Amino acid sequence: MLPKPNRRSGPAAVASLAAAALLLSACGGGGDDDNALHILVVKHPLTGPMADMAWTAEIEKAAGIPIEWEEVSADWDQKKSTMLAAGDIPDLVIGANAITDADMVTFTGLFEDLGDDMDSLPNVQAMFDALPETELMATRPDGEVFSVPSYRRFWPETATRQYVNQQWLDNLGLAQPTTWDELHDVLLAFKTEDANGNGDPDDEIPIDWSPAGEGGFGYFQPSVFLGSLGLPITNGGGSGYFVEDGTVGNFLTDPRYKEVVSFLHDLYADGLVSPEVMTQDYSTYQSVGRGDGDTAKVGFSWGWTASDRFGPQIADQYAPIAPLAADASVAATDLAWTYDSYSLNYGVNTVTMSAQSSKKDAALKVIDAFYDQDLSIQALWGDFGTNIEEGGNGVYTVLPPADATLDSSSWKWTTTLADNSPGWIRDDIEVALPADIQEAVEDEEPIAGALANIDPATDIWPGELIKMNAEDSSRLSLLHTDILGPAMQRWATWITEGGVESEWDAYTAELEGLGLTEAVEIHQKYYDEYLAAQG
Amino acid sequence: MTSATTVRPAGGTAPRRAGGPVHRLKRHFRRYWQLWVMVAPAVAFVAVFAYVPMYGLQLAFREFDFAAGITGGDWVGLKYFQQFFDSPQFWNLLRNTVVISVSTLVAGFVAPIGLALMVNQVFGRRRKKFLQTATYLPHFISIVVIVGMLQVFLSPTSGLITRVVGLFGVDDANFLGSAGAFVPVYVLSEVWQHAGWNSIIYLAALSSVDPQLYEAAKIDGAGRFSIIRHIDVPALVPTMIVLLILNMGNVLNTGFEKIFLMQNPLNLGVSEVIATYVYKIGILSNQFSYATAIGLFNTLINFAFLVVANQIAKRVSNTSLW
Repeated sequence: MLPKPNRRSGPAAVASLAAAALLLSACGGGGDDDNALHILVVKHPLTGPMADMAWTAEIEKAAGIPIEWEEVSADWDQKKSTMLAAGDIPDLVIGANAITDADMVTFTGLFEDLGDDMDSLPNVQAMFDALPETELMATRPDGEVFSVPSYRRFWPETATRQYVNQQWLDNLGLAQPTTWDELHDVLLAFKTEDANGNGDPDDEIPIDWSPAGEGGFGYFQPSVFLGSLGLPITNGGGSGYFVEDGTVGNFLTDPRYKEVVSFLHDLYADGLVSPEVMTQDYSTYQSVGRGDGDTAKVGFSWGWTASDRFGPQIADQYAPIAPLAADASVAATDLAWTYDSYSLNYGVNTVTMSAQSSKKDAALKVIDAFYDQDLSIQALWGDFGTNIEEGGNGVYTVLPPADATLDSSSWKWTTTLADNSPGWIRDDIEVALPADIQEAVEDEEPIAGALANIDPATDIWPGELIKMNAEDSSRLSLLHTDILGPAMQRWATWITEGGVESEWDAYTAELEGLGLTEAVEIHQKYYDEYLAAQG
Repeated sequence: MTSATTVRPAGGTAPRRAGGPVHRLKRHFRRYWQLWVMVAPAVAFVAVFAYVPMYGLQLAFREFDFAAGITGGDWVGLKYFQQFFDSPQFWNLLRNTVVISVSTLVAGFVAPIGLALMVNQVFGRRRKKFLQTATYLPHFISIVVIVGMLQVFLSPTSGLITRVVGLFGVDDANFLGSAGAFVPVYVLSEVWQHAGWNSIIYLAALSSVDPQLYEAAKIDGAGRFSIIRHIDVPALVPTMIVLLILNMGNVLNTGFEKIFLMQNPLNLGVSEVIATYVYKIGILSNQFSYATAIGLFNTLINFAFLVVANQIAKRVSNTSLW
């Protein structure tokens, strides 16, 4: 093997990301005979080269030996399958859920059990002590720790915020909707009148949402309307699991889900929903929301923040609003929403170590360095000086983007690993947050009441905290592939074409035939164990 | 057609002298070793890339165990095949796969022939070349781009094609979102993309037709359609049969990428095929043994189709692969 230059110089590093990823993965692996520590990082497509991040020098110093970064920006899932199946992995793999729980049960023996190395990982041990849920996230059913999660602390409790175009409401003299019926009326007005005032009464899309794939529900989808009936969900719904009075259920066969679908069909039948809502991809959905210059196109939708969803130019037109009640009989104290804190404030499986690593000491030192107070915050928001001002005594200020053309979220993703990084943001430090997180937290205010109604300890399915054994996890992935296909297809056809009332019984029977009951029972078993362990 | 029938080394039919099979083999290699050297790279290629990896097939009969390797898992026999046949998805997958592939096979088989016959009728070298180039260019567009184009053209709000059919009174056509439109959209775009390219081989066959035949037919007063029917089509038949048999061998191999990219929750009922299911189960859910079993089942069906088609062709028209 030819000696590789250990750092690519400036202009050369400006090669396209895809090319860099290809090149690096091509010379990755098999490098155990040199004396560098090989770390694979799964990066966001925006993220620049690791060599441009000054904080990596600190990591290298902690390792005591040179670090060779293998940077992957695209198609990680495909690369990963072949890499793991060949059993040839670098010393460390870094990235949010880069190595999943399913990988750990399938590729047994490939990953180092960090559980017996805790003496060399004082920062990680301290995080486990301070935040016991992080230890739950890390520990396999048999007690091994193959991967360590991250904790980001300042993220909001939900990813999905609800927006209505206040300017349209004002133009038409309407009030913000608080129930489904009021929403229906507002959307009808958006549809029939020239709400955006550009002279064309037909170019308004009253309501739009993020496309739900066949893998289940996610952020920015009307599955949050389940909360209008008092059903709290997690991560936008996922595969449909929820917890009520200690019993696990799946909303795909719950009557409340039927009501939501039926309501959405009423909207669709009146022409209020974007006709492309089931077929568009995420980027189309995002670009439609940005409107046309100063003219907004969408009246009601869900998003991370107004400026992220609708673009900086028309974000001011939108107001965040509180969860809707299905009807006036639903009390405000019963309203719920989607609780996403476990996936927003924590990153599961952010760093994993190879069991075959010949540089175990250096690898452990690197893991621990990532959980250092200063390095954690730099890996998340960028270097001290350029991205963060360090005030001393645990006071930090995240600076606005140095590149004025970028918003603070893109700036973070461009200059550092951001949410893909391992790390532990301490609960006792003081941080002046960047604009994107501030906006998310502010826009969450109307939802705060519904979120407060949810007790994460008893009211949600805590998927991130529960680890399943190999047999159950492979059984579930099979069941979910079979169940979610027909279920998501029905979700789409019922909303666009109707039929939920007449087909409901046959549908619930079908899902049960596909193993939904068994899937729920498996979840229940683990939930009981989880509760018992909580004491 | 000579190029398609197997080149059978002479001498094997009538044993001229006494001698065991070993002796005959030796003589064969002594006589034909140059041919064997020429074909050796191809044989090596097929052996290394098609036969050697077949040892992985045993994964279909074993429990995949990473620590023990591909050959080390516990033997479970036909468990995964049973699981697939018992799966509620089985008939659905098989039906979708057959519908999509058979309609693609039929449309994709007829269209290039028609196109070749048409191009062959065009007068003027330059016009002919232009037409040929224009029809085969789409073949080089990548699948992702094709699907992107479909999404743009067929968008229910702004799509070109949706607007055009709107002029003819078809309102609110949602070709992307309706399950009934999935197969036609898939097949027609497939034909559009590949008919030009696939017609090249037919055009080559047509160019080998003896011009005397055309002249004789014209003297006898045959019109254009009679010429096509009695000279062009018969000249194409051997090519058609060989291509049909070859296509039969892929009957259940639907275009994975294109179907996968065109899938959305509204058409999943007709668009989930064996190939996409194997991807979802095998790669995304790490069920390697199950996915191998399904893939093997798919291959066996293809193989059966190939053999049957070949036998039929042999009986009916004396043209066959072996």
